[in-house]
Amino acid sequence: MFELRGVRHSYEGRTVLELDSFALAPGMLTAVVGPNGSGKSTLLRLLALLERPTVGAILRDGVVVSDARRRPATRERRRVTLVEQRPVLLRGTVRDNIAYGLRARGRGARVAARTAEAAAERLGCAGLLDRRRHELSEGEVQRVAIARALAIEPDVLLLDEPTSAADRAAAQTLYRTLAEERTRRPLAICLASHQLEDAYRWSDDLRALADGRLSPVTPENLFRVDLPPAGADGMTHAPVGALAIAVTTERTGPAILAVPPTDIFVSRAPLASSARNVFSGTVTRVVRHRPGTVHVTADFGVELVATVTEDAARELGLAPGALVTFAFKASAVQVF
Amino acid sequence: MDFLGDGLRRAFGLLGSANAEVYGIALLTIKVGCVATILACAAGIPVGFTLATKRFWGRRAALTVVNTALAFPTVVVGLLLYGLLSRRGPLGGLQWLYTWQAIVLGDVILAFPVAAALSAAAVQGVDPRVRRTAETLGAGPWRAAWTVAREARFALAAVITAAFGQTVAEVGAAMIVGGNIRGATRTLTTAVALYTAQGDFGLALALGIVLLIVALLVNVALQVLQGRGHV
Repeated sequence: MFELRGVRHSYEGRTVLELDSFALAPGMLTAVVGPNGSGKSTLLRLLALLERPTVGAILRDGVVVSDARRRPATRERRRVTLVEQRPVLLRGTVRDNIAYGLRARGRGARVAARTAEAAAERLGCAGLLDRRRHELSEGEVQRVAIARALAIEPDVLLLDEPTSAADRAAAQTLYRTLAEERTRRPLAICLASHQLEDAYRWSDDLRALADGRLSPVTPENLFRVDLPPAGADGMTHAPVGALAIAVTTERTGPAILAVPPTDIFVSRAPLASSARNVFSGTVTRVVRHRPGTVHVTADFGVELVATVTEDAARELGLAPGALVTFAFKASAVQVF
Repeated sequence: MDFLGDGLRRAFGLLGSANAEVYGIALLTIKVGCVATILACAAGIPVGFTLATKRFWGRRAALTVVNTALAFPTVVVGLLLYGLLSRRGPLGGLQWLYTWQAIVLGDVILAFPVAAALSAAAVQGVDPRVRRTAETLGAGPWRAAWTVAREARFALAAVITAAFGQTVAEVGAAMIVGGNIRGATRTLTTAVALYTAQGDFGLALALGIVLLIVALLVNVALQVLQGRGHV
């Protein structure tokens, strides 16, 4: 079990991550979602033992392996590996790259090359083994970097936006490979992603980060805003892209807004109601969420997600391209 | 301008006739240059690497010192070294004054900041993800450093070239601690200074041309080595 305990991490005095507790259990896939700058990459770098927390500790099986004073031992770092959002390939061929971690662990050149070939095969990049980094596309580099990480068989695999440069098919191949890997051995995976659908579909545990803290609400419809003072009607109208979301709060200044998807009423046309937030737009995605419910994503200049039952979605004819109206109360919007 | 033309003719005549003194001076210069470059780079590149990659108290001050040392006047270094190596100096027991080893020592002092400052800049130019990638794949400190160095190999080759250039082009310290003794400590630069002062412009020019050829050959050799590297 890898765990952050009482961690606060700062850069030049600015706190970017503050977590009381964050644990990764063997065999579990944990997805971390959140907007840009929410602290996802910092969290992964701490878990990868590449940085030491300013305050707090990183533990493995209850034993501190890194804190503000303690540099993690190389043997601890070798249990965990990180694939960055924009990974770099080192000098040499793809084969050399995938074998790098094995060679660093003292494996012989032949064994490392064979293992590298097997890992490349699993990620569908066996045909790239003799190529060099300048001969690869961004998506291929990402795949090779993941093969390179899997080749060393870490206890914990950390992936930062692993499908940001992948097409749909490549992303599904990756997630299937990770699922297979987890059936083979108790690999703990933590991935940071913008792709909520993939996170829901493939993860065992989903965490949302906002401004360096774990969000108390689900990760959909999280927005970083600068709250203006309340208007004459006592309502605050928070600018979110092209929308002005009505909120009941006394706060002003920087804040995070969360609109729970289950609090959004979905209709094909505007309805007379007490909801202060009524937006009309076009459905972009309808994804099965949990048995019996679907996530409906619609574009209003800003994308909002609502949760409805499968029956309701069918009756309303919710499908990509359909016109739709989302309505929610100002009091349903959470501010933190 | 006649004297320039005469000088060039004399220079090529000396080079063509395989003048023993010219080649002796050139060989000593190459020997001193190579030894001093190896020593300066062996000490300077790791220091530059440390300054570029480690965060420690006093790092900025150390970088400032190294960068300032780039402008060390060679005669001042020669003077200080003379004081250290003279019989009554703390290093007098070495009996290195007026030997080629003394010239090497002076050159190392002058080339060390070049190696340290330029290698620090070279390593700082490497994408920080390279080191992170090496570390997250399980590389220990040495392998991670080697991986970064491989990425900076072109810039590090330029560091070696610059350090070698510093050692073969230096004249002030070599003159003071070497003494410019014929057949013993006379290098290309000290010989050029001497023969120019004596009015033997042709010989001075010949030695100057040899100095340029040496510098050119070293650069070509490094270019060839760099050209073999793959991305």
